[in-house]
Amino acid sequence: RVSSDGKPPKFQPPPKPVIIDRKTKKEESRFLSPEFIPPRGRKDPLKYYIERKDMIQRRKVFNIPEFYVGHILAVTTANPLASDKSSRFVGICIQRGGTGLGATFVLRNVIEDQGVEICYELYSPRIQAIEVLKLEKRLDENLMYLRDALPEYSTVDVNMKPVPRMDHEEIPVNKVQVRMKPKPWSKRWERPKYNIKGIKFELPEHKMQAAQKWSQPWLEFDMLREYDTSKIEEKIRKELSEELEK
Amino acid sequence: MRLSVAAAISHGRVYRRLGLSPRSRLDLLRNLVTALVRYERIETPWARADEMRGYAERLIDYAKRGDKDERAMRMADFWLTEKDLVHKLFKVLAPRFQPHAGSYTRLLQIPNRDGLDRAKMAVIELKGNPLPPLVRPRRDSDRTLLNQLLKGYRQDAQRARGT
Repeated sequence: RVSSDGKPPKFQPPPKPVIIDRKTKKEESRFLSPEFIPPRGRKDPLKYYIERKDMIQRRKVFNIPEFYVGHILAVTTANPLASDKSSRFVGICIQRGGTGLGATFVLRNVIEDQGVEICYELYSPRIQAIEVLKLEKRLDENLMYLRDALPEYSTVDVNMKPVPRMDHEEIPVNKVQVRMKPKPWSKRWERPKYNIKGIKFELPEHKMQAAQKWSQPWLEFDMLREYDTSKIEEKIRKELSEELEK
Repeated sequence: MRLSVAAAISHGRVYRRLGLSPRSRLDLLRNLVTALVRYERIETPWARADEMRGYAERLIDYAKRGDKDERAMRMADFWLTEKDLVHKLFKVLAPRFQPHAGSYTRLLQIPNRDGLDRAKMAVIELKGNPLPPLVRPRRDSDRTLLNQLLKGYRQDAQRARGT
């Protein structure tokens, strides 16, 4: 640099490093597993409280990772008939159901050209390990349509290595549009009741229009069907954090 | 002999079946909600009033969010068929019920309808409406035992204070 006078340029200290504090952000958007949220009903909340205590007990002993539908998981269960007394299954999580201790998740994979789905219970004592191999969310919460999709979309490599997670914040959304086998399908996925965004429908236009006949546009305005879980979630999060710190 | 007992067990279903179809049920209730917001006190069959009560209270909860809220405006637009009532909902009813947490309506049963159907009727009204009150709280008469005893006690206390 050319200096104004003959003296060497004044020492400019390097700019201070900008520290982005990621820890505080993580605390705000904490994940609450869906099986903790009690369904709407007239049951005594004591039942759900007792169940939650048991669930927390199990979680203290065994680590159940955070996962969503669309993640690729590897589950090792105890199997008395296997030589190693344990069996491992790798697959995409297509659905998470149930509440409380009976919460389940279904893993799907195609092994030797045969589609296999196994429904595991999260809190079953037979499960020895759950590893998340790949984190990615999908556009829908229920991937049952993979049964009618081409098998390449459900195949997961059994010896897949866990993909390292770069960021501790966002889980990437895979916006893949799945191609289907020819009709008939197990369910009429083009109908608006399923509200599926992850299929590339190659049906003719008049069939798509005919499917819209079953749409119920008044349902989104039916206020009594809404279940606002924000307050319940707050309470359960507080309870969880208190119990897990003990 | 009766082989099967036809019992009224709903198996957890909470919505009544009104009108011709689910769409028609919502339209019916929508008309009733519009009328309630307009006149603040209406007289309808009890079943319809009971169904409508939940929707009216949730609509007011949405209105409390304010008219800048996109979802609140869409709900008000759907539920109120007469569009001048949207203004009344956000500007008059929402501030009126702002201090209250819930239960903005009162449902009272009325003698059965005079027509051939003798339907169970009810009056549903928004609390704090400008119309004369439906129920006047009646004080107990002076002749009841408790009131007579209290009156005697009061007179004794007065006499003791006087002397």
